[in-house]
Amino acid sequence: MSSHIKSILFAVVLSIVCGSLLTLASTGLREYQLRNIAFDKQKNILKSIGLIEDKKAPSLETVSGLYADHIKKMWIDFQGKLVPKEKKGENDLPVYLYVKQEKIQAYIIPVHSRGLWGKIAGYLAIKNDGTTISGFTVYSHQETPGLGGEIEKRWFQKNFADKKIMDDKGNFVSITIAKGAVQGRIPTSRHKNFVDGISGASMTGKFLSAGLKRTLIEYEPLSERFRKNEIK
Amino acid sequence: MKITRTKAFKVFFNPIWESNPISGQILGICSALAVTVQLKTAIVMGLALTFVLACSNLSISLIRKLIPRNIRIIVELTIIATLVIFADQVLKAFLYDISKQLSVFVGLIITNCIIMARAETYALGNPPLLSLLDGIGNGLGYSQILITVAVLRELLGAGKLFGFQVIPNAFYAAGYENMGFMVLAPGAFIAIGLIVWLQKTVSKE
Repeated sequence: MSSHIKSILFAVVLSIVCGSLLTLASTGLREYQLRNIAFDKQKNILKSIGLIEDKKAPSLETVSGLYADHIKKMWIDFQGKLVPKEKKGENDLPVYLYVKQEKIQAYIIPVHSRGLWGKIAGYLAIKNDGTTISGFTVYSHQETPGLGGEIEKRWFQKNFADKKIMDDKGNFVSITIAKGAVQGRIPTSRHKNFVDGISGASMTGKFLSAGLKRTLIEYEPLSERFRKNEIK
Repeated sequence: MKITRTKAFKVFFNPIWESNPISGQILGICSALAVTVQLKTAIVMGLALTFVLACSNLSISLIRKLIPRNIRIIVELTIIATLVIFADQVLKAFLYDISKQLSVFVGLIITNCIIMARAETYALGNPPLLSLLDGIGNGLGYSQILITVAVLRELLGAGKLFGFQVIPNAFYAAGYENMGFMVLAPGAFIAIGLIVWLQKTVSKE
């Protein structure tokens, strides 16, 4: 057998062996991975409204208990009306409600944004006044660790708490990630609409700001209802 | 013959100290800088690399006589990549939080020069058992340095070990401060430099 044919044959056999091994591993472990991802999402939803602390790693029972007690998944239609799962239309958007003592304390919207290297997915929680941000978390991204990857860190996310998506005049302005520190760059009257950016990751900040704005505009009908006190 | 004189013993223990992949051969520095902020991630990374290195050395050595010379690097890489993806999948299934912290670095084991170097220089020319021992030895040598650096960095940088506070609060009250520098990559660079220095001085006889 000529050496070329031998090489090609060897490469084909090796690819088949390695490929099937990986397929086996990936299908076999998929269930566990999906469970982890679902748990991680619940954890992030609870983190965005401050129900669990970032520092301690909560157990599976704590998280699913808190989640079952306080979080209700609903959909909103184009007018911003809340509809239950059974009645949801095709273009309705999902929203998570934080319910405590029969009252909606905050609503949590899923954020899907473009990043520098891939998609960024997270949750933005807004208090029931429809204006004040309660928290922001990221559960999946592909940004560079140490630079854009800092969006998953606490120091970055905690800046979102108590910022506003409305300006002083009551117009919708969204929340923007500044290029560097807010102090000294942004006029004081607008500090509440900006969070500190990450140095060395202006592009990640730019994409995430745009993603947040687009998502918030989609959910504006709901936010407006909260501002007008139409939802209790 | 004494056990310390056998070839197998030497193959296993040499890379742990004398020809350590990091401090002796200066390989795999990039990941050693990146994942040593905390002890936990360093240990998991060390285990993942040891697993990949042992398996890749063993399997490459088993088929070393069949591998066509002209495509051997590609073959080695395919085997290594398969093992790394497998390790990554297992971490995602059972140690999700740690796998998130390690992020891209598990995937980057594929490009870790230690693994390629051992496959090329050892596994291709030696029998399976010795190659396996060489893989485990090198993996442990790598882990050993990672753990030492991580202990230094977590203790000095955050006052913690395994995430638990080790340095008592009374120290902080008395004016002690965490060394923020150790949390950054240059801190690891200096720590590794000191270990290389220490190792070279000690093993000079």
